[in-house]
Amino acid sequence: MNVLKVSRWTIAAFVLPCLIIYIGIVFVPILVSMYSGMLDWNGIGESTFVGLANFKKLLFHDSVFWPSVRRTLMFAVFSMAEIPIALLVAILLKRYVRKPNFLVSSYFLPVILSVVVVGQLWKTIYNPASMGGMLNQILDAVGLHSWGRAWLTDPSVAMYSLYFVALWQYLGYHTLIQFTGISNVPDDVYEAARIDGAEGFKADWHITFPLIVPIFKISIVLAFIGSLQAFDMIMVMTGGGPAHATDVISTHMYNMSFTSMKYGYGSSIAAFLVVLCLAATFCINFIFNKLEKRYS
Amino acid sequence: MAKMSKLLSIVLTGTLALSLTACGSGNKEDSGSGASGAAGSGSSTSDTTKDKNITITFQNIYPDPTDPKNKIMNKIVDQYEKDHPNIKIELDSLNTDQQKLKLKTQAASKEIPDITVVNPAAQMQPFVDAKLLAPLDDMLAENGLKDTFQDGLLDWYSFDGSTYAVPDGNNIGVVYYNKELFEKGGVKVPSTFEEMIDVVKTLKSKGIQPMAIGEKDTWTGSFLFMNMLLRTNNGPGFLKDVLDKKKTFEDPAFVEAVDAFQNLVQAGAFQEGATSFDYNAGENLFKTGKAAMYYMGTWATGGIESSSVNGKVGVFKFPTINGKGNPDEFMLAPGSAFAIAADSKHLAETKEFLNYFMLSFPKEAFEAKGAVGIGQKVEGDFKAAGYSDMAMDVLNMFKEVKGGDLAFDNTMNPGTAQAHLSSIQNLFAQKKNSADVAKEHQAGFEDNNQ
Repeated sequence: MNVLKVSRWTIAAFVLPCLIIYIGIVFVPILVSMYSGMLDWNGIGESTFVGLANFKKLLFHDSVFWPSVRRTLMFAVFSMAEIPIALLVAILLKRYVRKPNFLVSSYFLPVILSVVVVGQLWKTIYNPASMGGMLNQILDAVGLHSWGRAWLTDPSVAMYSLYFVALWQYLGYHTLIQFTGISNVPDDVYEAARIDGAEGFKADWHITFPLIVPIFKISIVLAFIGSLQAFDMIMVMTGGGPAHATDVISTHMYNMSFTSMKYGYGSSIAAFLVVLCLAATFCINFIFNKLEKRYS
Repeated sequence: MAKMSKLLSIVLTGTLALSLTACGSGNKEDSGSGASGAAGSGSSTSDTTKDKNITITFQNIYPDPTDPKNKIMNKIVDQYEKDHPNIKIELDSLNTDQQKLKLKTQAASKEIPDITVVNPAAQMQPFVDAKLLAPLDDMLAENGLKDTFQDGLLDWYSFDGSTYAVPDGNNIGVVYYNKELFEKGGVKVPSTFEEMIDVVKTLKSKGIQPMAIGEKDTWTGSFLFMNMLLRTNNGPGFLKDVLDKKKTFEDPAFVEAVDAFQNLVQAGAFQEGATSFDYNAGENLFKTGKAAMYYMGTWATGGIESSSVNGKVGVFKFPTINGKGNPDEFMLAPGSAFAIAADSKHLAETKEFLNYFMLSFPKEAFEAKGAVGIGQKVEGDFKAAGYSDMAMDVLNMFKEVKGGDLAFDNTMNPGTAQAHLSSIQNLFAQKKNSADVAKEHQAGFEDNNQ
């Protein structure tokens, strides 16, 4: 173990500064926000300690909270379900397109656009036909008038409209990651496989996928964490409305902390979000450890 | 020897750690005093040189250079800096929403800029309770500043006998209408709410968008709704009665107001997808002549005057509902107001500047044609100064004001207000049972007033 021939104390001493900073900017704030979650505090004046009352209210008496958790998790599910599609696109690009770099870059384009720009763009597309909304006008033009609706303001579809924009924006991102992964698989593996009779999608299933499992995992984790943090796009497009129909955990937290001035309550939502993130990361790691073991 | 080198490495590590933390705090200071006017730059830039050179941070909500108020502000500030070479006024101009958020963040870390902007009554109460704002009574007494304000206006900014902020405006809620579109639709200005519904239906049938609203911002719909409540309650004071536990939200007057509001929405008064339009986008529909009516505070007058529909716009008072209410009672909107941080490093100088600013404000506003709806008395002949007919109509309406109510979020605490705002927003998305809406309000109120 001790190949460097330095004492543990020396190692500890060199690790210490980073450790202190890391603890200072990651763990301390988490603990502080857990503590604030136990306060009845408007963020400005005096605070009173109320123990677990905020958490109790959050989990059992908040009519907005659980629906927003559900939307957040749905967001995560949709984002993760997108990864196999991105992988498929990447495989097709690799196999059938002679110079795929241009296409990969084009798919990547929405990612570098600011979320505000993307949000405004899609808001205009989703507008009612009378306001020049493109989607509704197209539906009208092809005779599907009955399919048209106010995409962002009808509570039953508004959230799905938002999911779609996020998926549209990040497809290129994941395609790029998967594409890079595939490109690193050496050709001779495929040649050997061809001799053994595995070609096309059969080869992908038995060779490409197992070899890029680590890359696949990165995409899944990024997609998951990204969707838990989804905030800016929702704020730009609907602001959580109409009447909380598109609120997710983060927008609910924002509304509570800043617009309703219940800083303590907002902090308890933040604490819940941290726990959720930890639990989910644990699950994802567990599943992928199994997968990696199976393929190695 | 080995021990020596070990010791050395520990010392070196320590130095490294120290230098890192030093860097960290250095950065923090940099960003603190940055030109962007980040968190509390005013209070942190305490020049140790002497009391001579002073920087006063002036947070404001006039970022738009085409807005007359922005020009007025710059003019007064420039003049003041010329007269007082040792004083520098650093402007921190933000949009209303950004400013609200920034101030809350700054308040949480007790770093409020020397001058900031707060909203009246319930909205500024938490700041006063936390003793973050300086009482301004001495400043108001100086040079007769107090008497320049309209009678009773400062009451909205006073707590326990002291005034904590001075408002830049005092507005009322009115309905703007596009005369050209009214003519095209063959309708007249409604004198009752029932007629108003008919006007909406007629306009709609002729393909004219009856009303515009920016309901993504939620307070817009609430402002209109509260005007209806002012009518169905047969006068002001409903929310106060609820606060005093004399009434509940399940009172018939409240349910009737919800009914009336739903009638208006269901008649198709507002543009499709209203809840995704923010304030500016909603107002633009009216300002570009795409909607016939627009309910808003009179602060919108200046913006409408500088738009393409200027000259075609008139105003009317919100009519009676089921014969109830008095059209001369308005939604009152005492404006956002300037306050001074209690722990400002240059309290005396800041008060002196704000005193000068507010004394100069009405005259400059009058000249810049921005004096409609300001909170101070204005001397001068508006007509002769070239104010538009619409502005004159609005000014005349001010003279007919016989009391009214404040907006919901100026009366109730933020938590209750939030519950109310989303409940009203929901009415734009779906039809609800009015009694349920009332119950929702009562539950939200009780939840936030334990």
